[in-house]
Amino acid sequence: MRAENYQAVTHPESHEFELNFGPNHPGIEGNYALKVRVNGDKIVAAKADGGYLHRGFEKLMEGRLWIQNIALVPRICVPDPVPMEMCYALGVEDLCQFEVPERANWLRVLQLELSRIAAHLFTFGGHAATVGMYSNMFWGIADRDLILDMFEQMTGGRVYHMYTIPGGVRRDVGVEQLDKISDLLDYLEKRLSDYDNLFFNNKIFIQRARDTGILTPKQALSWGVTGPNLRACGLAFDVRRDDAYLCYDQIDFDIATETAGDALARNLVRRKELAQSIYIVRQVIDYLKKDKSTHIRCQIPNPLAWKVPAGETYTRVESSKGELSFYIVSNGGEKPYRVHVRGPSSMHAVQVLEKLVTGGRLEDVAQIMFSLDACPPEVDR
Amino acid sequence: MVWDQDKEATKDNYASQTIVLDQILHELDTLNIEQKNNQRFRVDVSAEALPALLSLLKGRAGYTQLSAISCVDWEDEFELVYHLWSYETKVLVSAHIRIQYTPAVYVSVYDIYTPAGFFERDIYEMYGVYFEGSPMMEKFILTEWHGPAPMLKSFDTLKYVNDMFNWQEYQPDWLKEIQAKGGKVVS
Amino acid sequence: MSKIKLKVQQEAISHASKGSMLRPFKALAFLGRKPVTEALQARIAADIYRGFHLNDWDKCIGCSTCHTICDNAAIQMVYIPDLPSDLLAGKKPFRPAIDYGRCCWCGLCVDICPTGSLALSKEYIHTCTEDHIDSYFILPDPKGMHKQPFEKGWEKSDQTDLLLHHRQTMQQLPALERIQNFDEIVQGFTDQAAFEEASRCIQCGFCHDACPAQMHAPEYIRAIWEHNFEQAVTQIYRTNPFPNVCGRVCTHRCESACAMQVRGEAIAIRWLKRYAIDKVPHARVKALVSQSEISKPDNNLSVAIIGAGPAGLTAAFDLVQQGHKVKVFEAADKAGGMMRYGIPEYRLPADKLDEDIAIITSMGVEIVCNTIVGKDVSMEDIVTEYDAVLLATGLQQGRSSRIPGSNHKNVYSAIELLAKIKRQEDFIIPHKAVIIGGGNVAMDIARSLARLQQQYYANINIIVTTLETKDAMLADDSEKREALEEGIVLENSRGPLECMVCDDETLEGLKTVACLTVFDKEGRFHPQYDYTDEVIYSADMVVEAIGQNTVLAFLGDTITEQLEWQQGKIKVDNEGHTALEWLWSVGDMVKGSDVIHAIAKGHQVAKSIDTYLQNIKVFS
Repeated sequence: MRAENYQAVTHPESHEFELNFGPNHPGIEGNYALKVRVNGDKIVAAKADGGYLHRGFEKLMEGRLWIQNIALVPRICVPDPVPMEMCYALGVEDLCQFEVPERANWLRVLQLELSRIAAHLFTFGGHAATVGMYSNMFWGIADRDLILDMFEQMTGGRVYHMYTIPGGVRRDVGVEQLDKISDLLDYLEKRLSDYDNLFFNNKIFIQRARDTGILTPKQALSWGVTGPNLRACGLAFDVRRDDAYLCYDQIDFDIATETAGDALARNLVRRKELAQSIYIVRQVIDYLKKDKSTHIRCQIPNPLAWKVPAGETYTRVESSKGELSFYIVSNGGEKPYRVHVRGPSSMHAVQVLEKLVTGGRLEDVAQIMFSLDACPPEVDR
Repeated sequence: MVWDQDKEATKDNYASQTIVLDQILHELDTLNIEQKNNQRFRVDVSAEALPALLSLLKGRAGYTQLSAISCVDWEDEFELVYHLWSYETKVLVSAHIRIQYTPAVYVSVYDIYTPAGFFERDIYEMYGVYFEGSPMMEKFILTEWHGPAPMLKSFDTLKYVNDMFNWQEYQPDWLKEIQAKGGKVVS
Repeated sequence: MSKIKLKVQQEAISHASKGSMLRPFKALAFLGRKPVTEALQARIAADIYRGFHLNDWDKCIGCSTCHTICDNAAIQMVYIPDLPSDLLAGKKPFRPAIDYGRCCWCGLCVDICPTGSLALSKEYIHTCTEDHIDSYFILPDPKGMHKQPFEKGWEKSDQTDLLLHHRQTMQQLPALERIQNFDEIVQGFTDQAAFEEASRCIQCGFCHDACPAQMHAPEYIRAIWEHNFEQAVTQIYRTNPFPNVCGRVCTHRCESACAMQVRGEAIAIRWLKRYAIDKVPHARVKALVSQSEISKPDNNLSVAIIGAGPAGLTAAFDLVQQGHKVKVFEAADKAGGMMRYGIPEYRLPADKLDEDIAIITSMGVEIVCNTIVGKDVSMEDIVTEYDAVLLATGLQQGRSSRIPGSNHKNVYSAIELLAKIKRQEDFIIPHKAVIIGGGNVAMDIARSLARLQQQYYANINIIVTTLETKDAMLADDSEKREALEEGIVLENSRGPLECMVCDDETLEGLKTVACLTVFDKEGRFHPQYDYTDEVIYSADMVVEAIGQNTVLAFLGDTITEQLEWQQGKIKVDNEGHTALEWLWSVGDMVKGSDVIHAIAKGHQVAKSIDTYLQNIKVFS
């Protein structure tokens, strides 16, 4: 917010003050702000303030060829870009009636789950920092980097992979690479106990996070909460199961749940999902090693002469943050007519966050935001 | 509301729920239903009937989640699409309505679905469609924007950029050398 | 699946456990671990890393496809005068320059590059102060951004290639079937095949530049892809009034320049043109063409065109659209010239040619057939009656080898015989024929005779003797291949020596000797023979298909003397203008070649004539 737009609000009679929490605040996730009204350190009211990351993706996508958008979509969510690519590709495939080769679908699951692990490492690392535990953040980032190495070797890019395209994926992954991922999984699995010791079992964290930002199942459902946040309320809903895409119906995994619905429960769900994702990736590696097919993409039209049949489709993917959906409309042209991105954080970072921090304490604002894994770029788009 | 966690989307359950869905869809006579696949339904409904449809879907058919509201600018009218998800039947119903272009006003469904608050605010900001009764219609993303609603098809981003900003041309040495020989940047 | 690893239990974390007092000492174990930080130096990137661009300038053809696909408009094409340019071979002196202020390293430029010249390297570090901001705009070459040896990272592979390299197959009559008659061999694209073929085009425009008539091929291919066939026909008629002819028999220079043929097969541009014109009903074509703007004449200037071949009719077509009155004199009984009498029916059905000519006449061109200038109408009358005259008579007389016996009545010129066949005139079909010559005309006559032999004798016996080797023969590869399929025998590297005639004046055969080389060191036609290697091919007919001459006797002595001549040809400037200000000369007659060149020349000369007539207007 520019200085000329800033109007200090004072409430001399009630001893209330308005604080700008962010956009430049170490406790805020991404470029985002919360305007909080405090009385002492108790939060009386909160107002989310976005727009610091608005890049107009939805508008930009309307001006680009169907293939060109693959370079744009991952940027919508920085820490977890793969589901974005996936959701877009699923939509275009649905409209074009593409038959995607089986191997491509498994390669996509490999990417999706590695991305989920990376995103979760990032998030609980961040959460740890909000309660003053920086070592954990360093660990989380360092281990995430090892996954980024894998992405680099598989896709040629560390953060923005641009690997999944409508019709399949851009490159195959060899056995040697799969072995490397396997080794990394062994390492990560060992690290889980380190994380437990340092963080999930840490008294400071438990005491800070327990009973903070409680969501009841009823609230969660009516406020549109999804993903780990919803599962932390005891509701075992997961798009991968309920609205299965790719080959998730052939994969064995548990839907991680907790019941308390507080910041602690949300983190524990993510901790369990780390283990589940590792388990899923192992199954994928196993499949990919046995599979002798080299077919990773169906025949797609010449990218410069590609019209998608008119129609609309709503595709959903379970990202690390919850339900990610794309509503794609084609008017039969060479470019999308409309792409609407529904990031899970558009719920978590605005209405839910406002409601959860209100009535709480100032010191918990950052914690609650991280426990919701609210990702501002998804909201701003 | 009591949520039965163990309730799985069994076949019977699914069947009974689709019957409810069918009933509801028949109660409202201005509907046009299209089943796209097992988990996707498209319903076209008149703008007046939509709130009633949403209430019925939520109240009787278990469509507890409003996944999103999408707005599409068709240049002569707006299309609003309400994506509703049932955790019980695992079915997504997309309810499509068309509203007039000017004035673009519609009613809020915030009272039925809380998430509508965010989407309505977003659509107002990006398309200029006002939702009467929505709790918060203040700007969220484009706080300092006073131009037309940017997502409208009539808003040309490239023209805006060209009007607003100057282009800076690069002049690297290699280009100067080529230019000296008569070459140039052609496109 | 569950065999892989013990299934993870939900309650794996004992987050409620209190732990022991000694737990903090566990941290000591971390002292022995490898640090996660890395030394301050550039990490070596992965094998397929998407770093800075590399461009192999020898491979790059300057087609701009990278520029088109770039979703951030980060790629601009730079014209570099030093680079070789060859429009006919599809090479332009343009190279991509990349703006790293915009590039997002998606690698689509690499995946789409038709030549595979672009790649991304493993190099990824570049930074500068604002003073050196120009260093963000680079012209990639094989040496890399900082001239340091970095390996290729992301490069093209069959898996990543986004282009469609294979041509749609064209339905053709099989050899056994087509040899029975003169039915058209090529069946034309189906709707689906045409759409698929058109969709392969990357719109680089190389075809446009390579075409002698500069046809708007990218535009009509695009229109076909959009199922807008009328638009396609309109685009075709912008530069070519013979779509039916060129859609069938064009020598398609466009396809040899097509960027797609570098790594795959060129777009079948010729067949697409045919598809478009076949698709739109003749009456609609007529309506579409008549919509074109016609200048309103404000004087009564008129042009006489002698010869209704492709060049003459194209010029006529252009000139009527400029508002001039045009009359075409044709010696034969029908218009079309070589298109009618030189191209066999199985390659170009006469009714298709008639369609094209009907469009031209519908625009107001008057064609008078069976009118030989110099006999039925005198040159002097034409000169007095018309404001401008165009000679477009073409090469109507077959050239003779002048070997002994070549004046025998059973020794024909190919062009004469082709016309006889086309006119269905009577002549004695040979049991054994020998053709001299290895060009397309030789193939045409050989294949036409083969069809007649099959019909009348059910036995094909045709030998084609050429001076050149099989590879160096001038005939198109498809012609050679199809001729062989049809049972025609090729005898390469044979020089004709004599047409052997018996005492009773019957033709016995052709005596040939081995031909060692065709051209001398300076590249002049000067065949060297090995006279010891002698073969006689018995035949009751010999056909000479070794080129054609023009006959200009009708001009009369006065005009012939007024004109300037060069090696037996009328000397003209680049626009076909002769030394006489009212006389132009054009077509095969000026530049021996094919239909599309004749059309191009027709346009050129029409422009020149129009300019001349416009000036007359000014003076009067």
